[in-house]
Amino acid sequence: MKKILPITNAIIAVISGIFVLLGYFFPGVFGGIQSTLIGWAIILAAFALLLGIFNLAMVHWKKIASSKSGNINSMVLLISLVVTILIVSINGPAGSWSLWVFNSFQVPVEVSLLAVLAVILVYAGARLLAHRPKWNTILFLVTVLVVLLGSAPLFFIGEITPLSIVRGWLTQVPAIAGARGLLIGVALGTVATGLRILIGADRPYGG
Amino acid sequence: MTDVICPLCGKPNPPDLDECMYCQAPLKTGGFIAPPESESELSSSPSTSNKPGEAEQKAPEPSASSDLEQSIPDWLKQTEADFLDLSEVKPEEPSPAELSGQFDSLLSPPSTPPSSKENAIDDDWLASLLDEAGVGKPEPPSLQEQAPEEALKEPEPEPGSEMYEEGANLAVEGSTEEEQLSPTQPAEKPDWLKNLEASSTIKLEGDLFSGEPEPIEPAVNEIPEEKAQDQTPLPDWIAKTGSIEPPPSPQEPAESPIAPAELPNWLEALRPTETVSPSAPVEDLSGADIVTAGPLVGLRGVISAHPSAIRPQKPPTYSIKLRVTDEQQARVEMMKELLANEEKPTPLASRPIITSRNIFRLIVAVVLLLPMVWMIISGSQQASTPQPGNIPGVVDFTQQIQKLPSGAPVLMAFDYEAGFSGELNIAVTNVLIQLMNKSAYLTLVATTPTGPALAESLIKNASSSLVGTSGAYSNYADLGYVPGGTMGLLGLAKSPRSILPYSLESDNVWEGAPLNAIASIKDFSAVIVLTNDPDTARIWIEQAGPLLQEAGTPLLMVTSSQAEPLIRPYFEAKPAQVQGLIAGLAGGLAYGRTVGNLQQNGIWDAFSVGVTVSFLIILIGSIAGVVSKMLAASKKEN
Repeated sequence: MKKILPITNAIIAVISGIFVLLGYFFPGVFGGIQSTLIGWAIILAAFALLLGIFNLAMVHWKKIASSKSGNINSMVLLISLVVTILIVSINGPAGSWSLWVFNSFQVPVEVSLLAVLAVILVYAGARLLAHRPKWNTILFLVTVLVVLLGSAPLFFIGEITPLSIVRGWLTQVPAIAGARGLLIGVALGTVATGLRILIGADRPYGG
Repeated sequence: MTDVICPLCGKPNPPDLDECMYCQAPLKTGGFIAPPESESELSSSPSTSNKPGEAEQKAPEPSASSDLEQSIPDWLKQTEADFLDLSEVKPEEPSPAELSGQFDSLLSPPSTPPSSKENAIDDDWLASLLDEAGVGKPEPPSLQEQAPEEALKEPEPEPGSEMYEEGANLAVEGSTEEEQLSPTQPAEKPDWLKNLEASSTIKLEGDLFSGEPEPIEPAVNEIPEEKAQDQTPLPDWIAKTGSIEPPPSPQEPAESPIAPAELPNWLEALRPTETVSPSAPVEDLSGADIVTAGPLVGLRGVISAHPSAIRPQKPPTYSIKLRVTDEQQARVEMMKELLANEEKPTPLASRPIITSRNIFRLIVAVVLLLPMVWMIISGSQQASTPQPGNIPGVVDFTQQIQKLPSGAPVLMAFDYEAGFSGELNIAVTNVLIQLMNKSAYLTLVATTPTGPALAESLIKNASSSLVGTSGAYSNYADLGYVPGGTMGLLGLAKSPRSILPYSLESDNVWEGAPLNAIASIKDFSAVIVLTNDPDTARIWIEQAGPLLQEAGTPLLMVTSSQAEPLIRPYFEAKPAQVQGLIAGLAGGLAYGRTVGNLQQNGIWDAFSVGVTVSFLIILIGSIAGVVSKMLAASKKEN
């Protein structure tokens, strides 16, 4: 069984990958098989999400049981999880109580995190040149300032058109060029990984 | 008095004893009868050998005739010379002239038969010479008739007899009296002759024994005893064997005058002489201790099994307590203390809450937030709002919405995080209001877990802000969360009915209108993706874009400012993969201005103030940092 199972896994993975790939080229012939396989994969992904939630709860439950320092955070997490599950199960996902929980806790917490991030970034930008007085640091700071000034009209000054043009050029040419280069590299790596899985050379499922 | 010499220990014993009084070895079989006192005294003299055999070797030899001397071959003469050179008694050996004289006396018989001269080669001629010399012959007339081998046999003089006494006397007198010996007297063999006999043939020796007329037991054993004592003492079994062997009849060799065979030297060398006279050394046990206790009592030379050696004793006990000095104990204590301190966690130095860094952070936060809060509270509208024409994609987005027929099915994907609600909610709310005004059938999906709740919340907010409607907007279906990431999107694009068959209310929305006509994503009138992640936007474009382009269904996007640079190329491409784009707060305000629903509420001014303050903080902080660095460097130089 130790030898049969890995081979079976490899055969299943390779055949599934080939059928999904052929579904792109011959949707009329392999479209149905492709949709069925994708449906199975989505179910498995949903189950993995449930498994992740269960694992998270178990980890924090062990922390509470071990009575280590900082278990109050785990306790808050478990209580929040249980209460949210109870509310959504009773009131429904679109119920008023469920939306109240979401709008009162989820949205403010996430927005506050981004607000703190904005403050930290401004502080780091102000201290950056003091820590690293180099030419690339100066170039980075100048770019940041130009994009900031071109994103919105300055208070009491208004929009500075040349800065807006420069900001547009910076975001559309250098930034996009770098991002596209990264994406092309990622795409090539994805193609190589897919081919390795299709031919069975790479077996992330084990075996 | 005649003593018997023990063959084992070599000590004299009284003749009446059967065993050695010293070593208990049997004396009868291998014992040696000591010579008379005079002989033993002579044998102990420095001029003679201690061995009795050697005493006989010193016996007078008959004078040799010149004919016989001439008949000796050269090789024998050379052997004789070599032997004399290598002899142990070299200093005592006579000079070559004396040797030749001895040899002459030995080889000079009273009468030399001509037949012996004819056989004068190798051992035969020597035997014939001895025969002619009458050595060992009790009856001289019959000696001539005997074979030469018999003549070589040494006669055994009886103790007390004339021959024995003369031999003993001659051994004392040396070579000077050898010439006076009569031929009838027993001839004494020289050393070289005995060695020659021992190295040449044994058969000849045996024949000499056989030639004994009256074999007397001690005399029979005497000759091998002498030979054995020359090399090593004989063991008992050999002595017994020698005593058991019956002496050959003296008449047989006399009646068979057949000349002995001439053996070549190589055959003589191959003869196993050790079987006759073993050369293995025998341990001398005369000095060994006699066992006085145990089962081997009385034996000599064996391991004593004394009871004290095998008596069981209690094993000694050794202390396992480690002997440690005070200094070592102090070091051990020090090591223990060090190890105990290693296990203890070192408490970190508590940092003060109020530090220059924390103060600067607080200053930045206060300076950044206070103006923004003030702008929102005051509802300032001093900053000019963005124009739709200046924001790319807003006008196209508006046109695509306006193209939608009334009650058209529109798929909306809420794929942004709740943290970006402040940036995106203005644009999303305006889009929802426009769609509600067109009574579009909204099909809500999400690829993030928080997306369905966010969609429900926005739908409720938008419906409440609709002008002229009393109740909530119900022309929509929230299908919920699509798991699986990219695969989920592909499945949703190809077969939304099978991927999300039920809404959050557990209704089969695909049975009723207008979703009953939807087989794939291209059957929707428009697809609007709301996301803050450029990767999510790209996946939508890659997975659902081909199907939508095939059917001419517009793909519209509402994104955050950070995703706008990456999505904008898809919008500006020819043909465009994204037909409409609203990016960030500026795009939302511009779209609101387009649809006539501008709800600024001081947000844009707060955003403008925030950007301005951020710029100033970064600029001032950078300059201050550089100046402080320069000051520090100048202080160092000074």
